[in-house]
Amino acid sequence: MSFRKRNIGLSAGVDRAAVPNVSAQPAPIESTPGIRPSPDDGRPTTSTGTPSLDGLLAGHAGLPMGKILLIEENGTTDFAGALLRYYAAEGVVQEQKIHVVGVPEQWGRSLPGLIGTAESLEEKRSDKRKDERMKIAWRYERLGEFGAGIAGARDAPTSTGIPDAAAKQQNAFCHAFDLTKRLAHPSITNMSFIPLVPSRDSPFTSILKQLQSSIASAGPSTIHRIVIPSLLNPTMYPPSACQPQHVLQFLHSLKALMNAHAARITAMITVPLSLFPRSSGLIRWIELLSDGVIELCPFPHSADALATSGAATTQEEPPQGMLKTHRLPVLHERGGGSDQNIGQDWAFNLSRRRFEIKPFSLPPAEGDKEAQDAPASSGMPKKADLEF
Amino acid sequence: MAPVNLSHRRTHNLLLISKLLSLRDTASPLTLLLDSLEQPASPLIQEYIRRAKLSKVHVTLIAFETLKCPEGCDAFVSTRRKSPADIIKEVSAAYQPSPSTGPSKRRLIIIDAINPLLSSRGSDLSFHLPSFLGAFITPTNPAASKSDASLVVTYHQDVPGIPPQNPYLPSTFSILTYLATSIITLHSFSHILAQKAARDRSLVPPVFGLEEEQDGVLLGRLDKLGGTGATEGIVLELEHRRKSGRGVLEWYLLPPASRYPATQVKEIVTLLDDNILYNPPMESYGDDEEEPQSTFELGLTDRQRRDREGVVLPYFDAQHGDGPGEGGRILYDMGEEDDFDEEEDEI
Amino acid sequence: MPSQPPLPPLLAPYLSSQPESSLTLISSILGATSNWLVLRLLYSALSTSTNQTFGLDEHDGSKKKVVLVSFLRGWEFWKVEAKRLGLDLARLADKKQFAFVDGLSELFSAPQSANAAPTTSSPTGIPPRTSLPLRGPPGPVPGRGPAIAPAISASTSSVARGPATSEPGIAKKLHFSGRGTAALDIMEKDIIAVIEQVKASGDSSEEVLLIIDQPDFLLAATGTSMGIGATEMSEWVTGLQLNVGATVLTLAADSPLIHNASVSGNQGATPVEGEHASFAIGLAHRARSVMQLRTLETGAARDVSGVLRISRGGGISSGADTLDEKELLYYIQRDGGVKVFGRGES
Repeated sequence: MSFRKRNIGLSAGVDRAAVPNVSAQPAPIESTPGIRPSPDDGRPTTSTGTPSLDGLLAGHAGLPMGKILLIEENGTTDFAGALLRYYAAEGVVQEQKIHVVGVPEQWGRSLPGLIGTAESLEEKRSDKRKDERMKIAWRYERLGEFGAGIAGARDAPTSTGIPDAAAKQQNAFCHAFDLTKRLAHPSITNMSFIPLVPSRDSPFTSILKQLQSSIASAGPSTIHRIVIPSLLNPTMYPPSACQPQHVLQFLHSLKALMNAHAARITAMITVPLSLFPRSSGLIRWIELLSDGVIELCPFPHSADALATSGAATTQEEPPQGMLKTHRLPVLHERGGGSDQNIGQDWAFNLSRRRFEIKPFSLPPAEGDKEAQDAPASSGMPKKADLEF
Repeated sequence: MAPVNLSHRRTHNLLLISKLLSLRDTASPLTLLLDSLEQPASPLIQEYIRRAKLSKVHVTLIAFETLKCPEGCDAFVSTRRKSPADIIKEVSAAYQPSPSTGPSKRRLIIIDAINPLLSSRGSDLSFHLPSFLGAFITPTNPAASKSDASLVVTYHQDVPGIPPQNPYLPSTFSILTYLATSIITLHSFSHILAQKAARDRSLVPPVFGLEEEQDGVLLGRLDKLGGTGATEGIVLELEHRRKSGRGVLEWYLLPPASRYPATQVKEIVTLLDDNILYNPPMESYGDDEEEPQSTFELGLTDRQRRDREGVVLPYFDAQHGDGPGEGGRILYDMGEEDDFDEEEDEI
Repeated sequence: MPSQPPLPPLLAPYLSSQPESSLTLISSILGATSNWLVLRLLYSALSTSTNQTFGLDEHDGSKKKVVLVSFLRGWEFWKVEAKRLGLDLARLADKKQFAFVDGLSELFSAPQSANAAPTTSSPTGIPPRTSLPLRGPPGPVPGRGPAIAPAISASTSSVARGPATSEPGIAKKLHFSGRGTAALDIMEKDIIAVIEQVKASGDSSEEVLLIIDQPDFLLAATGTSMGIGATEMSEWVTGLQLNVGATVLTLAADSPLIHNASVSGNQGATPVEGEHASFAIGLAHRARSVMQLRTLETGAARDVSGVLRISRGGGISSGADTLDEKELLYYIQRDGGVKVFGRGES
């Protein structure tokens, strides 16, 4: 069972018995919406709201429960913030309890709007491609229409008001969102925002207290998501927050809290790397305390040439940056290293509807013509010169 | 280097290291051992203890990082949760020479690592390193003990210290090196060889362990030649200040303890320059190697060489000054090998 | 089912021998964690089955007692992962062969109230057991007998001892309170109490192996502003070492934590980096052996998880004690099995 390919035939909600050989997780989890057992070892996972990020997480096809995912971002862009919004929006749609730390409630109003399940979007996309490409195989054209028809029937309408559509979305594991729209969902009011309270002591003490009490008071069936945007960002956090005895103790206590309710909580944290570089000991400790560490390295904005060069074909959107995985949940806790995705270079692309992570490959150098021509004219002797 | 000079140096400096390691004549009251993870000082400390046992010196170990009294130590002073003053008191109490047992013994006091003491924040600000170290060497009660003590202090060079409280004070490391009468820096022999080999080829010398600055690497030492024993041993870089004020700098090689019996009295330390691996003897090239190698026989037989030397060259004849137009001829005695043709060749 | 032997043959000699009062250091980095090695260490010390140790005849089932103090990972993790190796830590904890000291759950934040205590961690259907029978005669408890029966009788009395010890398997939860060496002393006393309990039970001649998982976190999260520096932490370790046979520590050796301070001579290094480097390098000077884990320098590979370098530390007594230095590659399979091999082999 360990060599099963990931992302195969996993329809949402209904999963075959994944044989949790050692998993001690209680059974009722499986009936909870938005949670499914990992195809790798059967532990419960939940979606990050970004299908390609789910696929990156070491074969679990989701973020395992009880784990902290740290997203680091270089530069002043806010791609990590988009990931965080997807994560929060997914939680809202799955009717999980969202705890957002340190930002005002406007943040919750900027969540991206729901446009269906992730699968439906994927199918639509692939159908579009199929339409374009399969003209050659005209014999199968009818078949293609047939498939499209199925997809169309399964496609959830974009409006969230229709109850049966909402019921269908309940069962989906991951949804698709549109960044230009605003999320309207009945459970969006259920988000709780934990403000930073100025205090003489650690600024995190009150945050932790609130998290602890609200998680303890919620029922055992409630699933929680803890969202910490831009940790240590000086526009939000007081200067004393980046003292190691404050921030590291907070993260350790958070880890303890998640360990105590391992089946009910996930957390995602973003950190601005341009303020706190990875070469510093403090950030390394924050990374060591996290279960998954992902670094985003956006390409410079102005590079139009770069933007066009990264795409393998003209149909694909050009990548907007590189993505590095430094640590993956569960995998690295066991020692790491055996993931099939390891050693890949990843690029990411944020469009209106998706945050996509795909293998990065340099295209056949189109802009490299001068470089190829230059040596021919100057350095290298011409073939005619050599012949005698 | 002239061989006479080397043998002179060898005699003097080997005598010096022998005196220092065997604590004779209290040549060095305060010896500082600078070690690193790449070459820890423990083998050298064991050598100190071994020699101390041979010459019946009383050994006290002040343990900042050792758990158990090592073999050969007479007194073991643990420093856990003790103030410097307490340590001094305990050390002086550890050896009380009684007048009945004859002349008092000499003392060797070893501090296995001074770093924890220097970077301890708990210690009060009145802690004064020179007087702390001085208290061991000169006992507070001169009447009771005439015993002359030597202090051997290990300092781990790679353990970062804490920034000084008073920015105008010299760093504790500078104070230590200033106070010490001899400083022994330890190097791993295999590293010294690797670095020398690189220098001989004008390459950048390799670095090991922490200096590699590689993620996850604390120790670089890996005895690839382990077992062969070829490169075992410790290189000691000695810097000694004589009483006269003159300084001595010398590199030695201490072989591993397994190479000699524990009771060996004869000196085992050698000069690094005398080591075959470090300083391979110049190979004497034979005469035949000077000739370019070729499939043709380019050499001359003895007779041919004699004949060549017998040729009188033109300038020789010209010196006689027989007038213009004369001289400058090649004078040559015809041999039987010469195929002389009367018509063609004209003399 | 692990297809690999639980104890890789190449590693077995290093894992099974920790001489009396020796210190073994395991260093890890972000991408190459040490948990698998600690688990193998637990297996080597606690496992009774010799047939699985793959031609290792000298492993004559001489068991040790183990106290594991973990600062970054909870009991659930160790229990589940050890079970993959066929090691039942919960049962061993009942038999007092093993004790787990929890440095994660309540280290900095005590539980708010009794009802805030976790409810999900105890699986339904099994009566709550305790690992601390108060007066049960420790010696004659048969190993193969039902451990539940005596435990239930003891559970009633142990509930009164407070919620900290009521969870099965966890011998003690550490709390950090106060500052400076006083706070460390409290934790030291707690751990020593557990060590004494383990020592007192069963065959008291068996030596105790103490494993402390990432005590460097404690240093990082408190730091000099709370009166704890590298020296104080080292002394804390020394105090624990004096009470057990052998000690194993795991530490982070990531470049930012070590090299920022050690190479640049502490110029411009932050206190976290300086103290960590000082602590880690100082311990390496005391250690008998240092097992360093790191990722491949050449980048990730599909069949290699990382590199394990075993070196002699500064504290090895040259002479009688010998330790071959070695550099090995390891690969952790999806099922948790570990393959260890030399460079160029597979």
